[in-house]
Amino acid sequence: MRRKLRRWKTRTLLILAVIGPGFITANVDNDAGGIYTYSYAGARLGYTLLWTVIPMIIALVVIQEMSARMGAVTGKGLSDLIREEYGLRTTFLIMVALVVTNFGNIVAEFAGIATSMELFRVPRVVSVPIAAAIVWLLVVKGNYKSVEKIFLFASFFYFTYIIAGVLSDPSWAKALESTIRPPAPKVLNSSEYIYLVVGIVGATIAPWMQFYLQASIVEKGVTLRQYAASRLDVFVGSIFAPIVAWFIIVVCAATLYVHGPHNIQSAADAAQALRPLAGDYAYILFAGGLFNASLFAASILPLSTAYTVCEGLGFESGVDKSFGEAPFFYWLYTILLIAGGAVILAPKVPLVKISVLSQVVNGVLLPFVLIFMLLLINKPGLMGKHTNSRLFNAIAWMTAVAMIGLTIAWVFTLRG
Amino acid sequence: MTTVALSELLGAPVREPGGAVRGRVREVAVCPQEDATRIASFIVKTDQGERVLPPQRLQGRQNHALVANAPAAEWEVFSGGEGFLLLSRDLLDQQIIDVHGRKVVRVNDVDLFEEMENAHLELKVTSVDVGARGAVRRLLKGLVPAGALRALVSKIPPRVIPWEFVDLIETDPARRVKLKIAHERLAKLHPADIADIVEDLAPAEREAVFETLDEEVAADALEEVNPKLQVKILESLDSDRAADIVEAMNPDAAADLLGDLPRETSQEILEEMEPEEREEVAELLEFGEDTAAGRMTTEYLAMGVDASVQDAVETLKQFEGGIETVSTIYLLGPDAKLMGAVPLARIVVSPGDTALKGLSLDPLIFADAGANEKAVAELFDKYNLLTLPVVDKQGRMTGVITADDIISLLRSKL
Repeated sequence: MRRKLRRWKTRTLLILAVIGPGFITANVDNDAGGIYTYSYAGARLGYTLLWTVIPMIIALVVIQEMSARMGAVTGKGLSDLIREEYGLRTTFLIMVALVVTNFGNIVAEFAGIATSMELFRVPRVVSVPIAAAIVWLLVVKGNYKSVEKIFLFASFFYFTYIIAGVLSDPSWAKALESTIRPPAPKVLNSSEYIYLVVGIVGATIAPWMQFYLQASIVEKGVTLRQYAASRLDVFVGSIFAPIVAWFIIVVCAATLYVHGPHNIQSAADAAQALRPLAGDYAYILFAGGLFNASLFAASILPLSTAYTVCEGLGFESGVDKSFGEAPFFYWLYTILLIAGGAVILAPKVPLVKISVLSQVVNGVLLPFVLIFMLLLINKPGLMGKHTNSRLFNAIAWMTAVAMIGLTIAWVFTLRG
Repeated sequence: MTTVALSELLGAPVREPGGAVRGRVREVAVCPQEDATRIASFIVKTDQGERVLPPQRLQGRQNHALVANAPAAEWEVFSGGEGFLLLSRDLLDQQIIDVHGRKVVRVNDVDLFEEMENAHLELKVTSVDVGARGAVRRLLKGLVPAGALRALVSKIPPRVIPWEFVDLIETDPARRVKLKIAHERLAKLHPADIADIVEDLAPAEREAVFETLDEEVAADALEEVNPKLQVKILESLDSDRAADIVEAMNPDAAADLLGDLPRETSQEILEEMEPEEREEVAELLEFGEDTAAGRMTTEYLAMGVDASVQDAVETLKQFEGGIETVSTIYLLGPDAKLMGAVPLARIVVSPGDTALKGLSLDPLIFADAGANEKAVAELFDKYNLLTLPVVDKQGRMTGVITADDIISLLRSKL
């Protein structure tokens, strides 16, 4: 009897333990860069970008499922697999691109920290170094896992956008119509439009997420046996994140696009969107949520980057190792954090613009990571009978091709 | 007599005696069945298909090109790499076990020793490069002139693992036999080090190691692996092999592990076990894991209450159990009643004819089978114990808890 009870307990714990990586990854994904990009897009172009959300849900579900499946089947991280199958030079180039891209994201997280704390009248020269120190200590000396739950709980801040969405009295009919109606071809002439499409996709389907999710699945020790539960977790997260994005865009379209300011330049501008919900206190809600999201992502991104790079290039890694045992790992991690914070402290940096730019870079790199994922996941030697279905291949390839196409189109609009 | 890197050989042109380039090196192969270090063949890609060139057919290397001693038409056709360890495919960018450094590392390049012997080329693998030197060489190959690259690379301090300390991991059992991969050197490490290494591997590789290791070694190592991973490893093995390993484990560790497995799996493994070991483990499985009986092992040294020091020494010589359980010898009366406990240290310093009874600890500390973990840990703390006997309701000895069990227990609560 006792044994039975214990077994039942482990079963439940198993499900709780497996519900996690997918949802966490999707949640971290709505970070400072994401929030600013969605807000910016809504304020600049109103409802016209909402059509991206449904294709994004489909693509995110497919791509995240691929990451999770590769982790469960091979038990190896994405950078390990790229290294083992495509060699050092390819891995090196991807790692360099990833470090540059992720660095942009880290800068965006610090931009989120700086701007949100400025709403509380804390100058950035104070907030940014303190936040960097907290993150460094938390990860290196502390117990990140226990804090993760707090972050996760606090990220329910995103629901405020859903509530604000209802209260801001948007034109639902127009919002829904914009969601299902494909865009007119003439938008391809607008440089800003394409730029923001790439940014929104890059914010929702970031390259680092694929590395992070696969690594989390491996670290959790999820194998094919427990994979069903993990897949559910991934699906829930992948649907939830773009829906939040949809609401942020709708809220900003209903408030900022209609009443101004159209050009978000600071957190104070973005916070105006939550006015229908919280009135004069909108800034507290926005700043609190943004701060949490930024700190959450800032704890994960530099660490995930350091792990990914070290694994791919064969450096010793892990927070359970000492500085002497894994010097490259700790240096990379520390430099990413410090340099990320330092960029924010430079005078006259347009923080919101930088945040949006970081997400656009995500979108530009995404197809290349995606192509490697597709090549790897279709190797029977690696995946056995768990290679991609034709439908998944079609969706993922279309996503990669579309992103490359959009990037090229954007370059052309600049020249024209 | 020089050193040459694998990455310098790969892609190198191969010339006929006349000087015409007829192909490029695609692979460099060792044949472990014949010689574990000597290069057995170069696999060369030509316009007519793949050819094999053993070093005896190469008259040397000039300007980074290999020169054959026969025209291309005479080069043997490559017919599958059965029994070949392919240095590029099996080693470059793959993870190996550094047996000397006791960790898992990734290979950046392979160093070979090159010399002329009877007018033909001979090459031997000397070490694998896991540091920046090999990485830089491969990253810049073809982008920087070969001479300049050599000069640059020679300035970087090498980080290499001598070939004899390299342990390869191969997940295909048939290939493992052909390549003679038996993890002999890995098996000589301390079980705790093997456990650390195994924890760093991917599941399929872990399985490969546990399939290959001798079951005694596998059992010792498995006991040191963290409990969650123990379950995964055992589940991945077939029940026959799993039973062999579980049999060789300490009964208490085996029972804890089987208790964590799904019921069907543990039953399958139990059925495959030898009757004697099965009984022992099955008995322990009946107890709750968080009681004294659930923590104990049934492997201990007990003697009749009238035995002497001389008898104890003789019995010790015969004892086959783990050393952590023999730090105390127990004295049992009629019906296996616990009557005394004699520390090994007292036996060692006493004359052979001394009666053990006189050396017994006073008071005699023991735990009831149903005592909870906390009470047991408190006893260890209070009396500074190394071992603690467990008795049933009738006062009969049923097993022993050792200090290392308590340390694991406390660590799991930290």
